[in-house]
Amino acid sequence: MKKKDRSRLPMLAQTGPVSVWMVLFVTLPLLFIIYISFMSRGEFGGVVYEFSTESYRTILDPMYFTVVAKSFRVALTTTLLCLLFGYPLAYYIAKKPPEKASRLIMLLMIPFWTNGMMRLNAWMLFFQMNGPVNYVLTHLHIVEKPVMFLYTDWLVNIGLFTNMLPFAVLPMYSSIEKLQKSLLEASYDLGADRKKTFFRVTLPLTFPGIFSAIILTFIPALGTYTVTDMLGGGKVLYIGNIIKNQFGAIRNWPLGAALSVLLLVITALLIFLYSRFAGIEDLEVV
Amino acid sequence: MKKALATGLAVLMGLSVMTAGMTVTASADDSELNIYMWGDYISEDLIADFEAVNGCKINLSYMSDNADAVNKLTAGAGSDYDLIMTCDAYMESLIAGGYLEEIDTSKIPNAEANLNKSYWTEDLRGYCVPYLMNYIYVVYNKDTCPLEEITCYNDLIRPELAGQIGSVDGARNLFPIALVALGYDPNSRDEEEIKEAYEWLTKYNANVLAYGSTEQNMVNGAISVMFTYDGNTAWAMDQMGEDNPLVIAPFTEDPVQLGMDLYVIPKGALHQDLAYKFLDYICDADVMAANLVEFPYSCPNDAAIEAASDDYKNSPAFDFGYKTNIFFQEDVGDALPIYDQYYQMLKVG
Amino acid sequence: MEKTGRRKKKGRALSVLADLYAIAMYTLFYIPVAVMIAFSFNDAKRNFSWEGFTTRWYGKLFSFSNTTLWDALVYSLVIAVLATLISTVVGVLGGIGLRKFEFRAKKFINMMIYVPIIVPEIVLAVAMLIIFITIGIRMGMGTILIGHCTFCIPYAVVTIKGRISGDNETLEEASMDLGANRVQTFFRVTIPSIMPGIMSAAFLSFTLSIDDVVMSNMLAGASQSTLPVLILSLNRTGLSGDVNALTTVMIAAMVAGLLLHRLIRRAAAAGRKRAEDGESAKG
Repeated sequence: MKKKDRSRLPMLAQTGPVSVWMVLFVTLPLLFIIYISFMSRGEFGGVVYEFSTESYRTILDPMYFTVVAKSFRVALTTTLLCLLFGYPLAYYIAKKPPEKASRLIMLLMIPFWTNGMMRLNAWMLFFQMNGPVNYVLTHLHIVEKPVMFLYTDWLVNIGLFTNMLPFAVLPMYSSIEKLQKSLLEASYDLGADRKKTFFRVTLPLTFPGIFSAIILTFIPALGTYTVTDMLGGGKVLYIGNIIKNQFGAIRNWPLGAALSVLLLVITALLIFLYSRFAGIEDLEVV
Repeated sequence: MKKALATGLAVLMGLSVMTAGMTVTASADDSELNIYMWGDYISEDLIADFEAVNGCKINLSYMSDNADAVNKLTAGAGSDYDLIMTCDAYMESLIAGGYLEEIDTSKIPNAEANLNKSYWTEDLRGYCVPYLMNYIYVVYNKDTCPLEEITCYNDLIRPELAGQIGSVDGARNLFPIALVALGYDPNSRDEEEIKEAYEWLTKYNANVLAYGSTEQNMVNGAISVMFTYDGNTAWAMDQMGEDNPLVIAPFTEDPVQLGMDLYVIPKGALHQDLAYKFLDYICDADVMAANLVEFPYSCPNDAAIEAASDDYKNSPAFDFGYKTNIFFQEDVGDALPIYDQYYQMLKVG
Repeated sequence: MEKTGRRKKKGRALSVLADLYAIAMYTLFYIPVAVMIAFSFNDAKRNFSWEGFTTRWYGKLFSFSNTTLWDALVYSLVIAVLATLISTVVGVLGGIGLRKFEFRAKKFINMMIYVPIIVPEIVLAVAMLIIFITIGIRMGMGTILIGHCTFCIPYAVVTIKGRISGDNETLEEASMDLGANRVQTFFRVTIPSIMPGIMSAAFLSFTLSIDDVVMSNMLAGASQSTLPVLILSLNRTGLSGDVNALTTVMIAAMVAGLLLHRLIRRAAAAGRKRAEDGESAKG
């Protein structure tokens, strides 16, 4: 009994703060959100505390399926871009000596300490009709007339990619950095070439980092709307827009809450299936 | 088990200490005035003068969206502030919800004397004081616009304008123009009419290049027509220089939307006396006229416009003939989710 | 012999390629920053397009009466630093603990970690606002801090979890076998072995906090707004160049800090080397 108690203290010290925080500031608000989702919208906004399933009946509309599907496509594209371009960058940084690596990480973060909306606007200024890109293109006579780069899919992708990349690079970096040199050397010694070592040793061993990267890019990208609104011209609504509007001009909090619950259920299911499918160690994440 | 209980108690105690630390109530003396409004929207000199005269400190904090103020009031956080800026479209529900203090107009003689009563209407007078206003109208570039002239909302859905329009966004900004174009009440609550408006808007949407950034796109030649605020037009005209090609569409019959930014006193506000003094102060003709130099927007204060500089009076962005042919955005109550549903259909496709 | 030579050559080519790749990525990242800096010198009331060179925005930024932007920046920085400290400590402890220990509520807590990442911030913010008002907590820096930490901690935990694996346990066991106690092991073995993860977690937290709008807005008190909220508010009528000037000053300060750090480290290393040389010369 005594021994058990002693081993409990470090556990409490380590998992206590996070557990308390999560229960107080996540579970409680979450319960409240679920509760609101079953209430009714007041005629003039706010919530009338009368039971109603109307919000859930509303989201059965197939239109919301289209919205979710579109949001998924955006999130998937962003995640793939971030993994594809982020992994090599994380690898590159991780292979540098620690001091240099931390400087590179720092350099990666500095742009993000400026204002997000201004960054998006900077992309617009860069690519607009009389912006620097068009200036160079027309003066080098590569194109006759300025090209309309704004409001195209690829500009939206650049915006999303540059907005999300650090959230993919950081966890992958910290997990690649951990890979012991001796392990890779052993692999070479055993006759494996670079390619084989990468695919058989490096990649599988850094999978926890990749998993974190996917979680930290895919899920936030699912709810994003600022990038698509500003660089995409706001002509398409994503799930993030719709939820934001319910807590904005439309003042339909119950519907906004119900949509969040829907998002939560879909994502939870996805993480569950994904971790099952991938068979990673952290199976209990869901 | 005992340990778990002890830990739980310790946590609760810690929390209550934290809570106690944060619940220090603000004092009700008249040394502070808390205003929640838009950033860079009132002259700092004016604020400083008021502080000096009344020996108080004005705390300004800023909203990022009109709905922010409404959310704060609806959630019950209104009493953190003494004055909140909101717009006329939300007034009905804020009054109905009991989120506002009634305003005693006898305490603000300057407002009584100077504000134009066709804007400060009977319904609003007991609960708010208008500050500045904005028209949402149509502007086009006469050099690049494919149409010779735009004289009504129906011109906006002509196929010649494909990809030429920059527009403000939001269900409650877009649907009214469709309803007006179809000859209905811009604040209709009739689902059939809203549905028809939706069909009209699908054609409009096809012509729109982008929602938002209208004046930037206009200055850079990405669009030739914009449906936007008069203030934003002023910036675009300013940047395009003296003889800019921008023309405020000479509407013949269709009314344009007029929105007002107004101050309300939230229920339970702590420094109401000072709030009244401030409201009276900004309604003073000379004070507002000075404010208009820095913020040359449309203004409901007739005396201030009289006293304002010629630059303000002759500003081209606010000079159009149909200024009195206007409609307001009203609260549509239960019809709002219907608007939202068709707005979503419009943009989801 | 020839084979290793060829491999070396191939390796060098690869490393040049890798450098080029990294440079390309960093360039892409710094395009918006470069544009923001360039437009801080733009001679136009609103930044719609390039009109000419001026330094007047710096004059406006540093003029005596202009405190709004600076106040907001300081407020944001204080909140971001505190949020980073809290989230990193709670997140690192939690990340380690949730990997190492088994307890009944673990599954549940693991699930909760993902909620703030999934649920749109505005929804959580409104729910928190109503709850805080109900218990009678006054809005202000404290509530903003709680809001920020609530989404920073999950990022920190996820990052730390990605870093920890079986190796750490082996190391810890070795340390304990060698007679170190739990606390010593934790601070001397566990923490250093996951340092890059901790750094990542701290960076992520700071980044999320310094640029947050939604929580900072909903949970703010009446006395002060954070910089991102102020900027978004200013954007209603178009941002003027002094905001760009502020951004430029911030970036310049950070780069200067980085360079200074490097110089100090170099000087320290040189000093150490000299001392060592002196020692050996004496010997």
